[in-house]
Amino acid sequence: MSRPVIGLTTYAEEARFGLQDTFAAVLPFSYVQAVHTSGGRAVLIAPDEPDDDVLDGLDGIMFTGGSDVDPALYGEQPHPTTKVKPERDAAEIVLLRAALAADLPILGICRGMQLMVVAYGGRLHQHLPDVLGHHNHRPISGPKFGEHAVRLRPGSHSHDVLGDLVLVNSFHHQGIADPGRLTPVGWCPDDNLIEVVEDSSHTFAVGVQWHPEDTKDFRLFAALVSAARQRRSGTAERAGAGRAPR
Amino acid sequence: MRPIVGITSYVEGARWGVWEGVAALVPYAYVRVVSDAGGRAVVLPPDGGGIEVIDVLDALVLAGGPDIDPRRYGAPPHPRTKNRGERDGGEAALVAAALHADLPILGVCRGMQLLAVAYGGTLHQHVPDLIGHEKHRPGPGVYGSHGVRFAPGSRLAAIMGEEDEVNSHHHQAVADPGALVATGWADDGVIEAVEDPNRQFVVGVQWHPEEAGDLRPFAALVRAGLTGSTERAGMAPERDIHPMSG
Repeated sequence: MSRPVIGLTTYAEEARFGLQDTFAAVLPFSYVQAVHTSGGRAVLIAPDEPDDDVLDGLDGIMFTGGSDVDPALYGEQPHPTTKVKPERDAAEIVLLRAALAADLPILGICRGMQLMVVAYGGRLHQHLPDVLGHHNHRPISGPKFGEHAVRLRPGSHSHDVLGDLVLVNSFHHQGIADPGRLTPVGWCPDDNLIEVVEDSSHTFAVGVQWHPEDTKDFRLFAALVSAARQRRSGTAERAGAGRAPR
Repeated sequence: MRPIVGITSYVEGARWGVWEGVAALVPYAYVRVVSDAGGRAVVLPPDGGGIEVIDVLDALVLAGGPDIDPRRYGAPPHPRTKNRGERDGGEAALVAAALHADLPILGVCRGMQLLAVAYGGTLHQHVPDLIGHEKHRPGPGVYGSHGVRFAPGSRLAAIMGEEDEVNSHHHQAVADPGALVATGWADDGVIEAVEDPNRQFVVGVQWHPEEAGDLRPFAALVRAGLTGSTERAGMAPERDIHPMSG
């Protein structure tokens, strides 16, 4: 059985690799491995002139981590620590809105979750240490990732996937102030920061604040791929005979 | 609706922004030229799992990168050959599937060499051994420049004219193009371009038109992808019933 095709948004940054130092479309390979291990086929969607035509061939889409979302998009002035990539925001917001309109299965990770919140009319805390008084969500010394629990709300889609409680890694300095029209369904019990949001009116629209691609816990990817597979087989049935061979 | 153009990706240890690690990436120049030529780029990380991604593509760019494992053309490795095995298998499968689907293909540098190997050809593993100079790669990360003449009546001549000056950064080259036809040569006789005269568009170039911002080969690829996609759309109605269409 052919695998569902999952689009992954990419960073567009000056990158150094091998002997090269060049502007690149770049994404940690851990995201790719998470999708492939979970039975999907990853394709990378570099930011491009805003247009949603690329969604046509996708069965699901993942909004990945990266720079801060431009606070202008939720009507605020930038905090001194806020670092934005407006081209990425512009391209990804277009893709996100079109993906939602098409009920394409969506998983947002870290920045991707924050982008979902902004698209749903919410707002972000621009620098969590100012609000929470601690650096636990992005350690300033020691290991790269922080670590904390997340408690899930029973009855939510995310609870079906992750259960009551999950231990997560953490590498972010912004967080959700207001989830907008998304439903908050997971919190860090230490400081009540929202860690998981979803839109239950969609087949699969979930955002998480941590980085499951950098763990061994791929349940969220499996859930995304599963929703994408169902969509793919549904599309094939409607077409009558599956995707016609090229 | 722009033709969707897949670009194969590098897998390298990389550093960008505050991030570092193994990444899937391509120099953004590839994305930009595809976009400027009227296509929509998606980046294809290597993957041994299957070739279903072909279904979503209208054309394929085989990007540059490390040397191809010489065992793929039956030769022992030269001491200067540097292979990164994770790309070869998945890309060879993609080439085979793209040929089967009659998808337009443009191979760049390593990508051209991959085409030659797929067509049963062989490579020179270190060009300076052959020609006694380093004009094709003056130094690591340094582009050379040299003239190329194209075979009159070939697709390459139609795209590039009868001769042109090109950039150059490679230490391997096509020795025997197999079932492809060589249609471009450097001043020193090194094969610089290959094509399959029996296909709508299967073309390989040894230089880097994306770095030079030379849209011509990409425009020709996108044009071929557009023609093919219109023809395929006639045979493959599932694209039209997809909720994201139009």
